[in-house]
Amino acid sequence: MWAMTVKEFRQLRRDHRTFAMMIVLPVMMLVIFGYAANFTVSKISTVVVGPQAMTVAEQLKAPFRVVEIDPKLGISTAKSRLLNGRAEVAFIAEPGTTQVLMDGTQLFSTETAEASLGRMAQAARASGTASPLSFSILYNPRLNTSWVLVPGLAGLILVFIGTLITSLGVVRERQSGTLEQLAVMPLRPWDVIAGKIVPYFIVASLDLIVIIAVGILLFGVPFVGNVAVFALGAIFFLLVTLGIGVLISTISQNQGQAIQLAFMVMLPQILLSGLIFPISSMGVGVRWISYILPLTYFIDISRGVMLKGMPIVALLEPLALLAILAMVVLALAMLRFRRDLAPSSRSYRSAMAESKVTA
Amino acid sequence: MNALAETRCVTLRYGEFTAVDSVSIAVERGETVGLLGANGAGKTSLIRLLLGLIPPTSGEALLLGSSPSVKSRERVGYVPQTLGLYEDLTVKENWDFTNRAFGLRRLSLPEDLGEIRDDLVGELPLGIQRQVAFAVATSHGPALLVLDEPTSGVAPLSRARLWNDIHTSAEAGSGVLVTTHNMEEAEQCDRLVIMVDGQMVVSGTPADVIGSRLVVEVRSEDWRRAFELLDSAGFVVQAHGDVLRVPAARDVIDETITASDIEATTTMVPANLEEAFVMIVSERSAA
Repeated sequence: MWAMTVKEFRQLRRDHRTFAMMIVLPVMMLVIFGYAANFTVSKISTVVVGPQAMTVAEQLKAPFRVVEIDPKLGISTAKSRLLNGRAEVAFIAEPGTTQVLMDGTQLFSTETAEASLGRMAQAARASGTASPLSFSILYNPRLNTSWVLVPGLAGLILVFIGTLITSLGVVRERQSGTLEQLAVMPLRPWDVIAGKIVPYFIVASLDLIVIIAVGILLFGVPFVGNVAVFALGAIFFLLVTLGIGVLISTISQNQGQAIQLAFMVMLPQILLSGLIFPISSMGVGVRWISYILPLTYFIDISRGVMLKGMPIVALLEPLALLAILAMVVLALAMLRFRRDLAPSSRSYRSAMAESKVTA
Repeated sequence: MNALAETRCVTLRYGEFTAVDSVSIAVERGETVGLLGANGAGKTSLIRLLLGLIPPTSGEALLLGSSPSVKSRERVGYVPQTLGLYEDLTVKENWDFTNRAFGLRRLSLPEDLGEIRDDLVGELPLGIQRQVAFAVATSHGPALLVLDEPTSGVAPLSRARLWNDIHTSAEAGSGVLVTTHNMEEAEQCDRLVIMVDGQMVVSGTPADVIGSRLVVEVRSEDWRRAFELLDSAGFVVQAHGDVLRVPAARDVIDETITASDIEATTTMVPANLEEAFVMIVSERSAA
């Protein structure tokens, strides 16, 4: 038994990646997720419009963080700000009455806003200064958790298929020795990458359709937006996740390494993308990580289209960012893959030129 | 006429280690060139340089007259040591994949693979797998065939069949570059290139390689003890029935035997290819 234990330790010591995963990763995860795991919303982006906007805005205290006050604007602007995600709560302050609109896709912000409004009303009644306050929740009036989770989970499942399963693809070729055979065939790196991605792309697309259909039929999740906009976001997002999978595959020597790396990429997406914990509640030190995760932007698109019916113009930013991420990741994957498949091109020519000069 | 494959003073270094050291070889149409060498001699590295799978540190490799490229590799059939077949695909599926990759469509599977067309490659015996790999690699009618240890781990019958296929390809005009450890197979090559520690030490026909090399033939009633004696003295001894053959100088062998109580007679006889190979490698190592 002792011999086995010593052998395992020796192997582990030389497997730097596993060693790092066992020692460094838990500490890193604990620190990162310690700051991220927070359901408490301390700041709620708020817009105040209507003739009495200045008066109402003056009365608003934390957690409401007023980002816009304009007495000249009305309810349509307020709705537009909620639709575009510029604000989570909108106050329409009319003489004698104030209407409050809340974005039901922001579960924790809305729940916090409801509680705060309740406390404000209670305090006003106690001081005898109460004015009529009506509030309504848009997009997810009953604050159904499943409505918010299903669009995000759809993205998470795509991450699993795209990153984990694809990451094994090239590694399998390398381990079985078929990568060398591919390199000798008249195939360009792009042909091989595209050929590898297409089947997973089709399977993941079918998965996405099934997930959304089940979400609609079983959980009653609405799909009020444009299917084409959703599909465009899904395509960009899938390309990013598949590209990450191929990239991991090209830098891993075996399937174990690929799985480890894939988990390292997936875990932050699960916890930091806003799927579970609101991004606005995360510590500033880790919040930036959320903004480089593709799932963050896909969740913006899927929730925006399915629940809020956001038009494409309102989603240009996440769509563009996903498209850029897709291009960057696929380009990196192809460059790495080229080294495996066609190392002869540039380095070969330069080596030959060098040897000719020497000769 | 350009050689099908050629290296000109090609060198490959990994840091301090030189895997291939200024090697120049050429493979012409219709000839079978055998690349011989111990493990780590640089045979596989030389093949990978020729195919453009790794860039040389210096020197030049030419495939069908130009630098290895996607275009030139279209006319190459390659069977790596690992065979390059997908074990979780059937014989027919592997065949179809390779043909499509080479832009060929609806090419029918050879008759001798018909019975196993729907068998998963991973479930076939190694000899049959190598036969499939050879058939797949030659399906597009390559001008150059590169085979890395094509008969390693293969039973004699399958080995003979594979060599028959290799000869058929060469007779049809293909050039064949084959690495092997097996001297009986090496004798079937038109030309041999022997590599030691990354360097090419001998090149020529099997007869050229053997040259005028002689070995000591030892005959003794007590040949088993003689074998033990010479073997323990560090000689490479081969027993052919009750006759021992030792690639060494006769006076040294005589001296060793005389020092024992074994009665034996020694004569000098022409070396075979395996013995010549051992002598070449030993001479080189000693140098």
